[in-house]
Amino acid sequence: MIRTLTAALLAALLSFSALAQDAPRTIQLHVDGLVCAFCAQGISKKLGKMDATAEVLVSLENGLVAVALKPGQDLADQTLRETLTEAGYSVTTIERKAETLDEVRARLKAKP
Amino acid sequence: MSLYRLCGALACLLPAAAFAKPIAYQGGTAVMGEYGAGTMQEFQVFYAPSYRWSAGAAQLRLDADDDSFSREISYVRGNLLLKRWNLPRAQANVFAWGGVGSARGSDFDGRETAWNAGGQADYETLRFYSSLRTDWQYARQTFSHRIDTAQLGWAPYAHDWDRLATWFVIQGRHYSGGLYEGVEAAALLRLFRNNKWGAAWVEAGVTQDGKLQTMFMINF
Repeated sequence: MIRTLTAALLAALLSFSALAQDAPRTIQLHVDGLVCAFCAQGISKKLGKMDATAEVLVSLENGLVAVALKPGQDLADQTLRETLTEAGYSVTTIERKAETLDEVRARLKAKP
Repeated sequence: MSLYRLCGALACLLPAAAFAKPIAYQGGTAVMGEYGAGTMQEFQVFYAPSYRWSAGAAQLRLDADDDSFSREISYVRGNLLLKRWNLPRAQANVFAWGGVGSARGSDFDGRETAWNAGGQADYETLRFYSSLRTDWQYARQTFSHRIDTAQLGWAPYAHDWDRLATWFVIQGRHYSGGLYEGVEAAALLRLFRNNKWGAAWVEAGVTQDGKLQTMFMINF
């Protein structure tokens, strides 16, 4: 009985840990038309006001907008697409990644 | 100190200066000032409820190159984004605007109703910029001035939004209605910087006549 309970507890802990690791930390959007710094300012302000947003990174050089999510929060693809369209830009792809925003920054910086 | 001089002083004070669009971004306010080589001086404030349109007010002073007349025009204006092309690593836009105001002039008495209309087409990447712009100021039986401006810009490096952007710009401008004879050419340095409260750019340069051409823009 004790062995069964311990095994069940262990399995629960492992699955929780796996879930936590798989939970997206950033949503990364590739955006067309992202060339001017004023654009970046507008996008950053709009996404930054959303409840689920912890921080926003805009990379003009990579045509990338990365949104760091608050723990346990998420943003629907439709919401993101509408927000960027209303801001005047075209979203080409949306990806959810386990990367933190600092890791995204480091990756972009290391890019040749 | 006149409003124009104040704008010029502000331009010099800004830490640095993309390119002027009448609509910056949704919910953004744009404040712009230009000292155009002694012929044109303008101060504008626009608010954009949407990325498709903005509205605001402006003050414009025009001085004939030969000092034969001057105009002071206060106006309200609406700006419309007619078409935008979002491309990979590039953007192109077509804007149109129009408005109405009141004008005084050194060569006529009282005030006149002044109408204005114009448009801009631009294409921008992180390293290259081009634009064509026209502004028309008109008061029935008193004056009609068109200011046509072409700009080509080149950035020595691709800037990201948290870095200082540097542009070298060549400008050609043609004034009608007796303001300036021929095409006025200018070489300009433009600097642009974003920060937490907003974005600012400032440019300065000289015309072929050796006159100062400067402009600033703040978005917040």
